Amino acid sequence: MPDIDALKAEAKRILDEGVVEMVIGFRAGDTPLHPQPAFFKTAEEVDALVYDPLCQNNLAAYLTRFPKTQKIGMLVRGCENRSVNALVFEGRHPREALYLIGVPCEGIIDWRRIVENTGEEVISVVEQSGGAILVESKAGSFTFEKSALLHESCSRCIHPNPLSADVVIGEARPEGDPALARKEVVDFAALPMEERNAWFRQEAERCIRCYACREACPMCYCEECFVDHISPRWTESGATPAGMQGWHIVRAFHQTGRCTSCGACERACPMDIKMTYLTEKLNEDMRQKYSFEAGMDAVTPPPFSTITLDDKSRFVI
Amino acid sequence: MNLILKKDHLTDLLNTWRGNHEVYAPQSLQKFTHFLPLLEGSEPVFDQAHNTRIPPKALFLPISEALLKFTRFGGYEQVPSQKAPRLIFGIRPCDARALTLLDTVFKQERYTDPHWQTRRDATVLVGLGCHEPCQTGFCTTVGSGPFDRAGLDAILTDLGEEFLVETLTEKGECLFTQLKRASDEQNARAMDLQQAARESMPTAFEVEGIKQKLDANFASPYWEEISRSCLGCGVCTFLCPTCFCFDIVDEAQRGERVRNWDTCMFRTYSLEASGHNPRPSRVERTRQRLSHKYSYWVDQISQIGCTGCGRCVRYCPVGLDIRAMLRKAQQLPSEVLHAK
Amino acid sequence: MTETPRIVLFQCQWCLFSPADQDWVDHQLPKNILLVKVPCTGRINPLYILNAVQGGADGVMVSGCLPEQCHFKTGNIGARRQLEAFADYLHHIGYERDRVRFLWLDLQDRGIIQKELAAFEAQIEPLGPAKNLAAREFETAGGANA
Repeated sequence: MPDIDALKAEAKRILDEGVVEMVIGFRAGDTPLHPQPAFFKTAEEVDALVYDPLCQNNLAAYLTRFPKTQKIGMLVRGCENRSVNALVFEGRHPREALYLIGVPCEGIIDWRRIVENTGEEVISVVEQSGGAILVESKAGSFTFEKSALLHESCSRCIHPNPLSADVVIGEARPEGDPALARKEVVDFAALPMEERNAWFRQEAERCIRCYACREACPMCYCEECFVDHISPRWTESGATPAGMQGWHIVRAFHQTGRCTSCGACERACPMDIKMTYLTEKLNEDMRQKYSFEAGMDAVTPPPFSTITLDDKSRFVI
Repeated sequence: MNLILKKDHLTDLLNTWRGNHEVYAPQSLQKFTHFLPLLEGSEPVFDQAHNTRIPPKALFLPISEALLKFTRFGGYEQVPSQKAPRLIFGIRPCDARALTLLDTVFKQERYTDPHWQTRRDATVLVGLGCHEPCQTGFCTTVGSGPFDRAGLDAILTDLGEEFLVETLTEKGECLFTQLKRASDEQNARAMDLQQAARESMPTAFEVEGIKQKLDANFASPYWEEISRSCLGCGVCTFLCPTCFCFDIVDEAQRGERVRNWDTCMFRTYSLEASGHNPRPSRVERTRQRLSHKYSYWVDQISQIGCTGCGRCVRYCPVGLDIRAMLRKAQQLPSEVLHAK
Repeated sequence: MTETPRIVLFQCQWCLFSPADQDWVDHQLPKNILLVKVPCTGRINPLYILNAVQGGADGVMVSGCLPEQCHFKTGNIGARRQLEAFADYLHHIGYERDRVRFLWLDLQDRGIIQKELAAFEAQIEPLGPAKNLAAREFETAGGANA
């Protein structure tokens, strides 16, 4: 469990000392399952800081809405730190104007998995030391092993530790096994094509084009998304099969070499659509072909930004 | 005169209805429920979740609907309105009341939307009251309630082994002709259940004077505070049973003019052709959303444009809660003097 | 087009050095092949390929110059990684990898494009019509969600 007092102390310090003008973290939600991203501007406000496994948003998504001159502090877990690195590489915010408070991550729990078991009327969710999660709901008391509630992206996380934070508060966790991430992709690829396609269509057809996935993703910051274009008309904007499929195909593809496998997209979706199987395919391809993972630092260009004649390519002739 | 429908006779009744309606009921879709056509052998699903994720407004104003079909040089044809008779079984009172609110939008003196109206005319609504109201719902706060009858042709109260049926319109009466009368005891039990359900719902915020507070504080920093973590997605508006904004686009490659759901929460919604955007940031857009629901609807039809279904609270990806926002709004000053 | 298999050919305008070859592509392309000429394969946004696939293309061929011979120096190298990743990605969700072919031509080549197109057609014919991702062709608005 994160040392909340140490986190608060550090956040207060950097505000008091003027290192940053604002610290981005979380506060308790108005409902038990949903803590909210919070923007603390004074040390006093930091008292409201909360940091628990239900904090399901990638805070790096907020970075792009602030002016580049603003000095910003942020609590970051492994994937969030990588997202920040990727954003810094893309010139979205200078690293000097950031202060990252790193927290080694034990995983985000998916509120849906709680509700599946306890019914929707949840009263409280408390993490116990030792890793169990105690849930009180109208249907009774439930205790879960955290591992049973983890969001899928966290179950296959490779880099839980923040790589380039200014300070790390908490014990480093063991790196995850890339084989876990690869297994998901390989297992899916091993299914017959018709099954893969059926799965893809089944997931895409629930889409209501609310773009929660896009807004939750730190790397989707285009002022005009490709779906907003009329000329050329890249994809249909409605809930038609071509539109819904095109949206999912392209949104994931635009993350190639940029996605840090945080899973915020999937967690944001109100229709419970699976989409990390798409981004993980692309992430795995980048690992295999170019030995590249997004956001491991803020200086290495991603594969699509690299021009080289040395590609081991399978192109004809 | 109330009637009794035994639960083990429900399937037969649904089958009878299916003889001359397309029957929609909540059914399983992944791990939640969704209004889908009820096929032979299927049962409505009520135990999985309190309400469907997508409100039944989607059955009258589809997420995407073709209005015209055209070819490059061949002119166009209108897509006919859907007039096949439908029955929606198990619609909740918050969603039914919302349809009556949407009627004031789509059916006006100057113009009635033919697609909306044709579907409404062809559909009968059999409601199911909420005897165990949900935690995130706040229907009683905004003038609705777990057994609100607005917009329904009949309402059912779950008594355990059977439903108490109250028919509310002629259309509703026609559906339940073969049922026995409810006994005094059953009627009393239903009334107790309904009252208990209403009373179990806390007041989420003070609704008295909310419009005045929102209007007076148009320029307040309150709006920036409450919209800070908003992602600007469309979850709250698309899942809202009273939201109706739409966009019409020509899909030239397909040859269709399509009406799609749109949302004031997107930047492009209010973006004008000149490039000017009267709602340039999340702040203005959040102000618009709250004010539309709790002030401008009141200006238009003297009713709050929210029926308290709670979906926006439950599914906001960042946990924003409109009830908390409105509680906070009530703390704002009633009158604000503007320096000139 | 009604002739099958339906192929969309994205052709870089520079890659056919011989006027005979270019003339063949401009005027004698078989009826089942739709030509989209681009100034460089680097211009090809993967979404063009998606558009072709969703429109019902049974095969997509991209024809461009060898990396060292790109008229714009490095245009086609930029294309390679993206287009290859995209083709693999489409295979993952239902569009066979064999339905997408990349052809990089040497300026010295003569008569290759015709052979390659014929070979490509022979390759995709047994796969049958591509229905899996042809969403625009087969379905209309109205949405599954209503």
